[in-house]
Order: sequence, then C-alpha cells, then structure tokens
Amino acid sequence: MAKKNRNVGIVGIGQTEYSSHKEHQNQAEMVNEAVRYALEDANITLDDIDCVLHGNMELFEMVFQPDMWHSLGSGAYGKDQFRITTGGTTGASLVCAADNLVASGMYDVVMAIGMEKLQEGHTTGGITNMADPLWFRHLQTGALTATTATMMMDEFGEERAKKAAMKYRILMDKHACLNPRAHRRFGLEYEQADDLMNTSPQLVGELRLIHMCSQSDGACVMIFASEKKAKKMCKTPVWIRDHITVHREETFNNFGIEMPEMTHHYAARKLFERNGIKDPVEYFDVFEMYDPSAWWGLDWAREFLLLKDDEHIKLLEDGEFDLDGKLPINPSGGVTASNPIGATAMLRPAEAAMQLRGDAGPQQIKKKVKHALASGFGGTLWSVLMMLEKDLDWQEVENG
Amino acid sequence: MKRVAVCAVAQHKCDSNIWHKRFQGMLLDVLEDIQKQTGMHFSEEGGVRSIVSASDDVFDARTISDNGITDVIGAHYREEEKMAQESLNALGYAMSIILSGHEDVVYVAGHCKESQGESRNVCTNLSYDPFYGRAMGLDYTNVAALQARAYMEKSGLTEEQMAKVVVRARQWAEKNPYANATEQVELGDVMYSPMLCDPIRTMHAYPVSDGAVVMLLASEERAHEFTDNPVWLTGFGSCMDSYFLGDRDLASNFALKQAAERAYKMAGVKDARKEIDLVEVMDCYAYQQPMWLEGLGFCGDGEGAKFIDEEGPAKYNVNLSGGMLAGNPIMTSGLYRMAEAVLQLKGDAGERQAADVNRAIAQSTTGGAGQFHTVVVLEK
Amino acid sequence: MAEYFGTAVEDIFNTMEERFLSEGTLDVDVTIGYNISGEGGGNWKVTIKEGTLKVEDADGEVTDCTAVLNANAETFVGVTLGKLDAGEAFSSGNIKVDGDLTVLVAILPKAFKPFKPVIKASAIVESVEERFLPEKAEGVDIKIGYDLSGDGGGQWTVVVKDQTCTLKEVLDDDCTVIMRMEAQVFVDLNQGKLDGGTAFSSGQVKVDGDIGVAGQSASLFEKYVAEGAAEEEGEELISLKCVPSINQRYATGPTMGKWFDGLKEKKFFASKCPQCGRTLVPPREICAQCRVRCNEFVEVGPDATVTLIDVVYYASPDPLTGKIRETPYTALFMVLDGVSRDESFAHDLNPKDIDRIKPGMKVRPVWAEKRMGTYRDLLYFEIAD
Repeated sequence: MAKKNRNVGIVGIGQTEYSSHKEHQNQAEMVNEAVRYALEDANITLDDIDCVLHGNMELFEMVFQPDMWHSLGSGAYGKDQFRITTGGTTGASLVCAADNLVASGMYDVVMAIGMEKLQEGHTTGGITNMADPLWFRHLQTGALTATTATMMMDEFGEERAKKAAMKYRILMDKHACLNPRAHRRFGLEYEQADDLMNTSPQLVGELRLIHMCSQSDGACVMIFASEKKAKKMCKTPVWIRDHITVHREETFNNFGIEMPEMTHHYAARKLFERNGIKDPVEYFDVFEMYDPSAWWGLDWAREFLLLKDDEHIKLLEDGEFDLDGKLPINPSGGVTASNPIGATAMLRPAEAAMQLRGDAGPQQIKKKVKHALASGFGGTLWSVLMMLEKDLDWQEVENG
Repeated sequence: MKRVAVCAVAQHKCDSNIWHKRFQGMLLDVLEDIQKQTGMHFSEEGGVRSIVSASDDVFDARTISDNGITDVIGAHYREEEKMAQESLNALGYAMSIILSGHEDVVYVAGHCKESQGESRNVCTNLSYDPFYGRAMGLDYTNVAALQARAYMEKSGLTEEQMAKVVVRARQWAEKNPYANATEQVELGDVMYSPMLCDPIRTMHAYPVSDGAVVMLLASEERAHEFTDNPVWLTGFGSCMDSYFLGDRDLASNFALKQAAERAYKMAGVKDARKEIDLVEVMDCYAYQQPMWLEGLGFCGDGEGAKFIDEEGPAKYNVNLSGGMLAGNPIMTSGLYRMAEAVLQLKGDAGERQAADVNRAIAQSTTGGAGQFHTVVVLEK
Repeated sequence: MAEYFGTAVEDIFNTMEERFLSEGTLDVDVTIGYNISGEGGGNWKVTIKEGTLKVEDADGEVTDCTAVLNANAETFVGVTLGKLDAGEAFSSGNIKVDGDLTVLVAILPKAFKPFKPVIKASAIVESVEERFLPEKAEGVDIKIGYDLSGDGGGQWTVVVKDQTCTLKEVLDDDCTVIMRMEAQVFVDLNQGKLDGGTAFSSGQVKVDGDIGVAGQSASLFEKYVAEGAAEEEGEELISLKCVPSINQRYATGPTMGKWFDGLKEKKFFASKCPQCGRTLVPPREICAQCRVRCNEFVEVGPDATVTLIDVVYYASPDPLTGKIRETPYTALFMVLDGVSRDESFAHDLNPKDIDRIKPGMKVRPVWAEKRMGTYRDLLYFEIAD
C-alpha cells in the first residue's frame, strides 16, 4: 500500500434530531436540514463544496435512485456526486469514500450525506429482503438473533453475562440522556437492572426488547477537506488517519462447530498492525462503536479491542467504558439510542470527531481526547473501522 | 496527476432474458475471463483487496444488492463498496481509491437484470416523489419522451435521422459478440415501428437487457503485473441537474456539459473534436445519441440533427459497440461503454477495431431525462 | 369532586405555578382575590409581584386586593376555559369585580399560559363507547383489558364484537390482551406525548396477551379530545399510503437448481471447493475464501448436529406469505453430517421438540409430502431419536 497522497480533515458536522416522528418533513427537506447545519458548522456555503456523497438504504423507503429527488435538499445541483450504499455500514463507507476522494486530489471539499426515513417504509421487510429470495428469506427474522447472548452466557455464566449486558445497556442510556439529538432516552438507573433483565419482553432468547436498537429517522452530514483547505477553513479540523472495510460471504453460515475470525477482529488486527498500535485500550481516548444491541456491543468490544477472555467485561464492570473511564464507549448513546440506518454508521465518526474537537456538548469527555476509534456494521456481519486523530503528529512519528 | 491504469475488462454478453443464470453465475463467468487475461488474484499480499461493485437494490429486488454477490466478486474479508448509481461512476470512485494511496489494485464489478422485474418502468417510476411525480405516472421512458420532443424542436431532429441512428447501431452491434440486439433493420422498419411513447417509437428504445461487466484497475506502478497494454484513466467528471422537470431546460444538456468540462479539464483535453478519436455514449433512446454528442462538444448546440446527416458519428467512431441502443441494462451501461473504449484503445476490438485510436470518451447518464451525467476520458 | 366542563375549580389554581409566565409580569405588583361560590368553590388570594407568583388558600371571603373577582364555580370554570363568554358573564352579573377591573383584563393574559384541562385516564376509557368507529371493527372480536394504577386509574374491559363496543368496569379473565401501566402513562400515550415504542421498551407498559391486538386497537376509536380543550392550531399533514408492487422472476442458476432438485429427492447437496475442500451448504457457485469455481457436488446429511439455538418470541411476518408466524418458534444452527466444521446451516425446529432441544443433539429433516423443488419442501428439523 502506498503512502496516503494527502491528509483529509473533517471541517463540518451537522445532524438532525433522531426520532420516529418526522412527519413534518419530506426526505429532501430532512436532508436539507442536516446539510444546513453542517455548512453552518463549517462556516462555508454550497459554493465551496466540490462533490456530494449520498447514501441510505433505498429499499427501505422504496425509492429508486433517491439521490435524484434528494438533490432538492442536498445541494448537489451542478456538482459531481457519488452514491454509495452498503447496508448498515453505509454511513461509515461514505466517510471512507470521502477520505479516498479528497486524499486522491480529485476533489478538495467533499460533503457526505447519510439519511434514513424508516417511517416512510417497512423496516423489517427491508431487512428480510437482504436474504436470497429463493433460500433463507423465509427463515430470516430481521436482524434478530440471540446467538451472541447464548455464547456469552456459556462462556461467562448466565448471571454474569446477563448482568454485564444490562449494565452496558444502562450505560448507553445514561450517555444517550446527555445527547440532545438521541432518539431514545429512557432515563434508566442501575437499580432497574435486575427488573429489566427479567421483565423486558424477550425478542429472541435472551435478546430482550430493552437490549435492541431503535428504528429512527434522521440525517447526518459531514464535510471533508484537504489538509491545506481544512487548515484555512476551520479552527479545529480533525483528521482521518486510516480506515479499513471488511465484508463477508453472502450467508450467515458462521455458526458451525468452529467459528472463523470475526470481521471486527480482522479489521482491528489489520488496522492496528499497519498503524503500529499495540494496545488499543491504552491508545484510544474514545470509541464510538456501532452496537445494534447491548449483547453485540459488549461482545464486539472484545473483538475490536483485541482483548481476551473476560477482559472486556472487567473493563465494563470497573467503569472503564463510562464517560470518565479509561476508554469511554459511545458517549453519544450509540445505536441502541439512535438508529437512522443510512446515517447510523456516520454518526459514529461524527460523534468521535466532535469529541476530538472538544465541542460534543453535554456528552463531551472531560479528559483530553486525541485519538478516536469509530466502527460501522452491516450486511452479513461486515465491519468498517476507522481511526481519527486530533492532530497530525502521528505522521511525524511515522516519518521521523 | 498520477495516472490510473485500466488493465483489463471482461463483459458478459447482454441478452433480454438470461433466465438460466443468476447474478452470481454471470459475475463468476466474467471473473474467470478477467483472471485468465490478467492472472489477478485476491490474496492478502499483493492481490486485490479493494472492490467497487455497481448495482441497484430496486432492480435486483434485494436490499444491499452487493450482499448477494460478495462471494463472486472476491469481497470475502476484503474491502468493498457498492456504487448505487449508474456503473460508470464506479470508475471515478475506484480512481480515487488508487490515487489516494489507499490501495493499488481495484476490481470493479457491475451487474443488472432488467428481465427480473415485471416492469422496468415501474422501477423507474419509483424514482419520482410520491406525492406528485409518482402519482402522475412519470417514469424514465415517458420523461425521455418529453425531452425527445424538446430536443426535436430545438435541433430539428427528424424521424429519418433517428432511424439512421438505430440502423447504424444495429450494423455495429452485429460485429459485437457482447451486444444484445443485433438484428439488422432498415430505415422504414424504425420509422414505422409502433409508437412507444410519442415521439419515441419501440425501435428507438433500448431493449430490456441483462448483463455484467468487470474491470481491473491498478496504479501506474503495478499495472505491468496484469497487462502489457494498459489503458489510462485520465479524466472523470459528473454533474447533477435539477429534479423537477419544470425546473429544467430539458434540451440544454446542462449536466452533461459540466460533467464533460470537468472530465476534459482533468485529462487536459482542450478541444474534444480535435483530441478525441472514439466516443461511447449511453443512448437509451435514439434522440439521445445526437443530443449527448452535442453536450460532449462534438457539434454545436442544436446542431445534432445536422451532425447525423453529415455522418458525424462515423467520423468520431461513435458507439462502435452498438451503444446502449443495442441493449445493455440501465445500471450497467456505463461499464459497457467504457469496456468498448478500453478494447478499442488496446487494439482488441476485433471486427470493430477503428484505426488510430489514442484517446476515447465513455459517457453515461441516470435519472429521468438525463438529470445526472458522468464522463470518463481514457487514453492509450 | 364537583367538575364543570370536565374540570374542578381547584385544578385551575393548582396549575397556576406551572402556567405562570414570569417574564410577562416584571413590572407588575398586584394582588387578586377570588371568591368562588357553589360546589367545589373556595377562596384564594393571588399575589403577582415583579416576576414572582404566590397563590394562597384563604379562609373565608377575600376582600383587600387590587381586584377581587366573585363568581359561581360553573361560571368561573366556563369563562376560564373559554366555554362561556366573559363579556356576557360580566354583563349578566354572574361575575362581579370589586376594585381595578383592568388588572384582570390586561395582566392575567400576560401572566399565565391558558389553562388546559387535566385529562384523566378514566375519562378516556369511559368515553370508548361514544368514540367507537364501528366501520373499522368489521370482523373484530376482541376484549381489551386496562389495568391502570394511580390517580384517574382503574380496571376496565372493552369488548368489541359484531361491530359494537361495550365497556365493563371490571378486568375480565379472558381478555385478548391486558395493558398495565400508570394512569398518567396511559394519558400521555393516548395524547401522543409519549411514544408507544419507548413506553413499551422501557418497561413503563406491560402487556399480557396479544401485543398485535394492543397496537391495532387504537384504530377502532376516534381520538379523545378533552372537554374544554382549546382547538389545537396546527397544519394538517397530508399522508399518502401506497404499496408498490413489482412481480419478480428469479433465476436459480444451475447451482441453486441442483439444491432444489435435491430437496425433491429428500437429499441435501453441498458444493465442494476444489482448493480448500470446504463444503458449502446450500451450494454456491464459488468458494468465497478461495475465489474458485465449485463444480463438484457432494451429498451431505441428511442428519445434522445442532450448534446454536434461537428461540424466537417476536412475531414477525413470514416475508414470503405475509402471515404472522406463531411464536415462540425455534430456529436452529447446525452442521450437517459430512459438511466442514465451520459451515453452519440454518432452519427451523419442529415445534414439538421446543422444550427438549439442546446444542450437540442430532436432528433430522422432516420433508413435505409433496415436494416440488422449492423452499417449502423442507418443513423443519426434529430431534433424531
């Protein structure tokens, strides 16, 4: 792999509130709202944008080539435009794409838009359409499975695993309550853990309603610029250091007697190796992880951070994933709080970037945040993983 | 700017009904073809680690349409992004992956089966906003008809000239082993074919088609590992026009002109008429061939009709593949356009080979009445 | 307690603090006395001074204030809610004011947000029969139970049958569904202040019985509008419902075709990778790991070993028929005999084995009697003993 052609900075971020009631806006208007916030945040106008990137899961809203309609609100008129859609990972893919497009030198300023208006479609229908129509679609239950919960209970004991998953869930809700844009903010307290563990309706096995992510509407927009322009445009540009995407074969066939390495683990392994990160828990100051359920969030903490045995549960139990812990996870509340699918995976680097900038609002981590990790998830257990930095000093380390 | 190489292309023959293969089968055939040509592999060290696919969820009737074909495009434990637009845009994106330094080799794979769904018009109707456009029954065919009428008024394009375009397309398609509609026709056959959507007749429209195209791109440093004869991707540009038909001047080529301008600028092309030897345009309907050629600058504004009579398309080696009129699926046509341009530049176009081809253009469009255009410049 | 237009006199005074608009009274310094006669009436003294408010119960008649309002309870409530015309009430002597009348006219509107009648859960439930929409209840035969705790709560059963609706003031045993929650949660849900999904997920609402019925029941009734509630001014939102439908004709291709042919014969065929030897089930054209065409087929199974079990409680619709599946049902992940250890196969379990199934057990397929080479040929798996 060659050296990166030039650095890419994040200079603007805009998000709508996430909710299940956006009847007052059509899709193009909702996109426009987030675009305006991002332009304002970046202190630029549409004239400064060279290229627009668009993404969502079109089969949910059943609109063919929605970027055409959304051009009413996206500002793509007269501009180059790309549309990339990769399921749940869409938002993160858009960030990777923006990085590639700006780093290439083909464009100086790129605006990426991730959006979803699930209430205008049929979400479960949309998800089951992921499976082959002739085999497996009849068996698919949307994105719901308790296999991870089952495996964690086998490994750590039923009581400890359930308690840990619930603690993770409540922690995520506490973070969400600090996030003015989050969709679901229940106000859960740790004292409720035992009750919720046993009374929240079961969806599949031990995967209960309380553990599962929401279905939200909303849009997220990020603006990227070349290093030169970023430094000129923006007081606090933050930087994309590296990213990796890992897809998997067509079917969910990985629950056999032997299980292959998860894409999360593979992605982390490759990304950290080529960037010289030996201890991710030490190195990173924040991790915005795409956690579609509390069970997955907890399990994948082990995968992404290359931990072993119960190290991830210990970190959770010791409060290290809290806002004031060693490695806060999802100060935004994560995916269980807000899940506007086409945008969800963009929220992760967006929120991580805000932490690096120091303006994440009530959910800002108090300690200095210099190194951020963000992940995306989708498809048949695909992962996208990216590293964001507050300063460009890692490069001097590489070259020096 | 550094150059990105197109090492090889592999096309699946287009047909109106590839009932005996699913997408996976089609893409595997072309994968094997391109592997034979280049020796490419997907190993972690030195192989393809980045893939750009191009397909549409609505036409595939499958959420995350790249999910179904992950295996046959080699994306298992590799990077992959799906270009959910007309496939030619995948080239611009693949170009950026290489120019950014992220990866040196990129595999591009596009597919589409128009025959799978009962009606491609119902699919394109879904592109219109639910309250007004969709309710009115707009789809890409009847909207193209509106544009055709506007263009005919502006340029004076006649039935006979449109028929000439189709007749010529079939003549070239006959020489293209990958084309769909190769049956030869005469002017009268076209001019008196039934009206599909006034002024577009059935024979002015591209037939329902299924197909798949793949390409291998590499950085300049590594191109030689895969081919002795790379073709260079030197320019890329795209542009979006307004959405509501009433906001647009349908005959103006607003988006195409800008897309072309940006692609030419990147490639250092100052005068298309002097510097381009071959053109592949995405002519879904006969009127689009002269109209897109105007937008690309091969003749003046409003002069497309004259251009046809003066044998302009022959002079500029336009659509020697037969073009889209010979039948390619809507989302994959751009890759077919580019594949022909690549073969011509490499000197591998067989019976269709034109002489002295040093620089070529491939163009594609999507959205109703060409709302969005993409232009790619290639050279030997 | 005496209520007029659905509201008690003391509700108006009890909500003054929360309705108070301090910014509108920064230059105000007045006292207002209220002597409300009749059932539910009382005496109050309200002091508004430079942005602050004090509301005091008074013993007996209030006299010494900037303005004193005397009225009977019904008139007082009616005028406050806008149900009775204030001018008329004053002219007819139903309201008498001693002192500075302008205080009431000029200051009160600036000082308080309009009173919105408190909606009680009991009022909502008790009005179901009037709000029932028989045309929406064709073919509906259900009993909805409400178990609401707290002020305004109670237990009711709403019986909908033969396009009629009957309310019972008890909670029947045989309700199709029973919804249990705090009365205020019920009111907030009903008035759109709380989102159903949120309430349910966070445990504020507990449901016994058919959740689907709970969701559908709202459509059988007109929205509850409190007596005396001011007309909400809002834009009417246009909503269009449409189900686009495009018939599809899918190709199986020869590889998947072999799988379906096998099912007809009660056989499972896997494709085998010539490079790594992996067996893929259902068979696929290519080995995703080796990127090599898999031309060889091997017969595998029919028995399998279970690796993981998913017990599904969530009643999702069968995507191919639209029917809601009966729950709970069990989905299995298994490794068919003869298949590589890292290739799992998924299918459903015969419902009769739901209580016995454990990972590690052997299962065997159960076939449809008539097989035509589709997914319907394989019904489910059952314990092989």
